[in-house]
Amino acid sequence: MTFMSPADPPTVEDNGPIYDWSWFPRGMAKILSIPALILLSAFIGFGGLAREVGLPLEQVMFMVPLVWALPSHLLLVGGIVTGLPWPFIALTVMLAAIRMMPMVMALVPEIRAPRTKPWHLFAVSNMVAITPWVHTLAVASEIPRRGRLPYFMGFAATMMLATTSVAALVHQLAATFPPVLMAALYFLTPIYFTMATWKTTRVLAEKLALGLGFALGPLFALVVPQANILVAGFLGGAIAYGVHRWQKSRAV
Amino acid sequence: MFYDSFDTWWWPFVFIMLAAWLPTSMWRWAGAWLIGDIDEHSEVLVAVRCVATALVAAVAAQFIFFPTGALADFAMPVRAGAAVVGFVTYVVTKQNMIAGVLVGEAILIAAYLAA
Repeated sequence: MTFMSPADPPTVEDNGPIYDWSWFPRGMAKILSIPALILLSAFIGFGGLAREVGLPLEQVMFMVPLVWALPSHLLLVGGIVTGLPWPFIALTVMLAAIRMMPMVMALVPEIRAPRTKPWHLFAVSNMVAITPWVHTLAVASEIPRRGRLPYFMGFAATMMLATTSVAALVHQLAATFPPVLMAALYFLTPIYFTMATWKTTRVLAEKLALGLGFALGPLFALVVPQANILVAGFLGGAIAYGVHRWQKSRAV
Repeated sequence: MFYDSFDTWWWPFVFIMLAAWLPTSMWRWAGAWLIGDIDEHSEVLVAVRCVATALVAAVAAQFIFFPTGALADFAMPVRAGAAVVGFVTYVVTKQNMIAGVLVGEAILIAAYLAA
């Protein structure tokens, strides 16, 4: 008998290839899903916005997959339009993108295979954004360990390609949308983010964290307008986790 | 320092990298570095997921309460109301995203037509 650790019982996975790449195309296929279609619609809006403010095509196609976070895209374009110097834009982007750190930390233990190297995780972390994150967290337990990272990559890479194409296409067609349609497309981003994140919550505390973040964010904008996302996120998360600990201590 | 500071083909790309790529991806790298060998069943991860969830919600609220562009022309109660009702629809329909999106968008567009 071989030794079996509780975290990774199937020791047979320690032999053979590190990853099972047959899961890559299965991740790609998820481009035909409701969340993917909603995100693509949001990027129709982004392509239109980029066109409206006069960003050239090649810059749009550069920033969509490289930055790969719609709030960061919107803050960047907003900053360029306002004529802000890059350190100012970088600061707001930085505050809004802190979420990427705990997101990556939550995803890595789910998708790493027994022999995943640290550099694999650094490389793959660049593909982490709400849509592939939510979807992969939701289905990871149904995928064998060695297939999870390829599955994530297949889905994320396809989404990157598709969103870049959609934004570029809208930009090239020079489609001009009526303001109400632009507003509707713009509105998709936050409501989709909220709904998608709700799907990843596993314990009550995480649902509470979502409510607290949503309520405290605008509230703290009145007190600390530059750091409200940061404060709301960490304070809301801390309160929710405190409730989680309290629940556990009562259960024992 | 500014988007149009240098009249060269490469400056806008450098600008994009400095203003948006590095400040976004540095957090991804930090996450990949910090996670180390933490076990997927670790209690730390519950705390991490709580913070991640609250941060995403705070970013979403930011785009609803302090929008730029065409959405800013809608009154705040309309934006907030459409978002909240859309989300409640999503939850009560057993997480039907299409239903949530359609209800939220319908309220927004109805408010536009009524104005």
